[in-house]
Amino acid sequence: MRTSFKPLAAGVGGVAAALLLWQAASGARAAGGSLPSVGSVATDLGALAGSPDFWSALAQTVGIALLGLAASGLGGIVVGILVGSFEPVRYATRAALEFLKPIPPIVILPLVVLILGPTGQMSWFLVFLGCLLPIVMQTVDGVHSTDPVARDTARSYGMKPVEILVRIVLPSAMPYIGTAMRVSAPAALIITVVAGLLGGGPGLGQSLYLAQAGGDYPTLYALVIVLGILGLLFQLGTRVAERRLLHWHESYREVAH
Amino acid sequence: MDKLMNKRPVLWLLGIGTPALLLAAWWLASAGSTDTFFPPLADIVDRFRALWLFDHFGSDVLVSLRNLVLGYAIAALAAVAVGFVTALAAPVRWAVDPLIHFLRGIPPVALVPIFISLMGFGPEMRVASIALAAFFPTFIATVDGLRAVDRGLLDVAQVYRLSRRDRVVAVLLPAASPQIFSGLQVSLQTAFVVMIASEMLGPSRGIGAMTLLAQQSFMISDMWSGILLLGVIGFAANFLFDLVRRKVLAWYIGSRRLARAS
Amino acid sequence: MRTTETAPITTTDTPVVPEPPRLDVVHLAKSYGSSSQKGDGGKKVIEDLTFSVGAGEVVCIVGPSGVGKTTLLKCLAGLQPASSGYAAIDGRTISGPPPEMALVFQDYSRSLMPWLTVRKNVILPLRHLRLAKAELKARCDEALEAVGLSHAENQYPWQLSGGMQQRVAIARALAYRPEILIMDEPFASVDAQTRFDLEDLCLRIREDFGMTILVVTHDIDEAVYLADRVVVLGSKPARVLRVVDVDLPSPRDQISTRALPEFAEQRTEVLALIKRPA
Repeated sequence: MRTSFKPLAAGVGGVAAALLLWQAASGARAAGGSLPSVGSVATDLGALAGSPDFWSALAQTVGIALLGLAASGLGGIVVGILVGSFEPVRYATRAALEFLKPIPPIVILPLVVLILGPTGQMSWFLVFLGCLLPIVMQTVDGVHSTDPVARDTARSYGMKPVEILVRIVLPSAMPYIGTAMRVSAPAALIITVVAGLLGGGPGLGQSLYLAQAGGDYPTLYALVIVLGILGLLFQLGTRVAERRLLHWHESYREVAH
Repeated sequence: MDKLMNKRPVLWLLGIGTPALLLAAWWLASAGSTDTFFPPLADIVDRFRALWLFDHFGSDVLVSLRNLVLGYAIAALAAVAVGFVTALAAPVRWAVDPLIHFLRGIPPVALVPIFISLMGFGPEMRVASIALAAFFPTFIATVDGLRAVDRGLLDVAQVYRLSRRDRVVAVLLPAASPQIFSGLQVSLQTAFVVMIASEMLGPSRGIGAMTLLAQQSFMISDMWSGILLLGVIGFAANFLFDLVRRKVLAWYIGSRRLARAS
Repeated sequence: MRTTETAPITTTDTPVVPEPPRLDVVHLAKSYGSSSQKGDGGKKVIEDLTFSVGAGEVVCIVGPSGVGKTTLLKCLAGLQPASSGYAAIDGRTISGPPPEMALVFQDYSRSLMPWLTVRKNVILPLRHLRLAKAELKARCDEALEAVGLSHAENQYPWQLSGGMQQRVAIARALAYRPEILIMDEPFASVDAQTRFDLEDLCLRIREDFGMTILVVTHDIDEAVYLADRVVVLGSKPARVLRVVDVDLPSPRDQISTRALPEFAEQRTEVLALIKRPA
């Protein structure tokens, strides 16, 4: 009991110290008075909670992120299985995939905005593109890592290719796919915010842009706090979902360390 | 056996040939294109050369890269140093843990408007945004890595009465380095994204700003060439990073490969 | 090179503890959980240990597994404070890692730095001693030579077999030139042949370097073969059942010593002590 009390007290102390520091900085009118006080941000958080516009922006952000994630999950797994099942295709696409992997979706934002305009469609398409590649590559790795003995055994028992895919290949690729989805979920939220902030797509990103452009600093800080909490929830949610869905898998721990 | 020997080169040829073929197809298919969104690749390459290698090299390309390198370097050094203090002093760790957990949840790009509000649109804002956003992945990885250092190795350091300096430089740092490096890799990607984002907001210079400006003024080939340049930088940064990682972590990569093989 | 006459210590036939003891363990007790409050509350690992190790002796500690031998060594090495009683070197109570002591850990894979080559692993503890370059090189060369690993000095530990890794750990201890060498089940996870080689290496170290050596083991044959005296521990919590004087001729030899009837007698004596219900 006594040992768990100290970290808790220190944690509370740390947060309190940060808030005090913030308050002192804003009181001293640091950065030309552009730092709002803790109180005004708290008031603004309260005001946001009572504003239907905020809730619809929040819903849009979450909706776009999840829709894009679902689309890229579906597309990524299908493409990944196709690529991973055929050796020549795997080789043919590898160089291209390796080249594209480290390039973030923000790079093609101007093009996507150009074609689709500042719309929700643009946002989720960007999320889709951004999450697609990691899921494809992980799925390919997962399919490729299928135990060849298990595959041969299944074949010798006369299983059809589709049956082998569903019964053998897909289950063994599951942990890889799970890991990819866990990493992609927070990324989907981030891309949604990027699309709103820089591309004019709907949701909290756009609210953020409007608050910054309009000089409404308390709202700006309140929105960032909301996004921080939302980001945490996304990370938490996907971790719980992955554990729920994959706890049965023997190699789950090994892959997802 | 023979079949296997013949198959390898064909597969490798496929690996190298396909991307080349795709590029050639793009070149041919887009030649003489009048589509507004998809100009001929030849035009894009032309604009690429004119813009990035000459007109805007000093004013934008170098500016962007300097911000990226500076912000990333500050983030990496600070994250490892603060990570050490945090991991080795329990009270500090307890005090900052909740804050860190909250801050890591914030999408890194969302920090940019805050820095704009505090510092305006100058290069300091960009470097600060990049540095802060890139700080967290490496910081968290450093703390995790240090906390996972094997008790046995620490006992050795103690029994042989290693100096504090040796303990940090020759034991703790290398022991945590695999995790630190994976944090540094995520930080690099974050830094790159925030570099672009910080240039796309408000009036500014840099590759991201130029690319967005080209899009808004409907200079489509210019926009394409900007996307191309950003893509190449993103790939090159990661590639360079991987080279360094392979060199520094050769012992780790080697031991892992051996462990897997047995 | 390793003739017995050069040994600086006199191995008399009658096993007398040379005076004064280098390492003295007096009523040492250790319990976990509540180190601040004395007495009850914590889990008692070591009840009351008293024994001593004379200069130049090889003493083995045997006992059932999980008896707290590793805990004892951690107290001796100054890694953990004793709950009550004390351990002392030359009369000075141990309160932190003593400078004249080196430890060879049980798990070699977790005691060598995988990012350092064999040579650099051996040098690591010497860095803070501020030795002259030539001295550093000489010590390292000699230690690697002694364990027969001169050829592998530029390899990484993980490229070596388990027995070779444990030899690196021993070489590191040798180069450190400790007066007292403590080994925690050092040969537990190597194959039988390597084990014999390492045991003989251990005896040779005593002859060549005049070290005082304390070995913890769960192998009774090994204990009898190596030791001048065997401290038999009983569980739980740990306490000394008896200190057995081993009366075997020196130098010892894996084949002839182990074939002696006295060897069988001594090991039976120790075994009976351990097997006996507490």
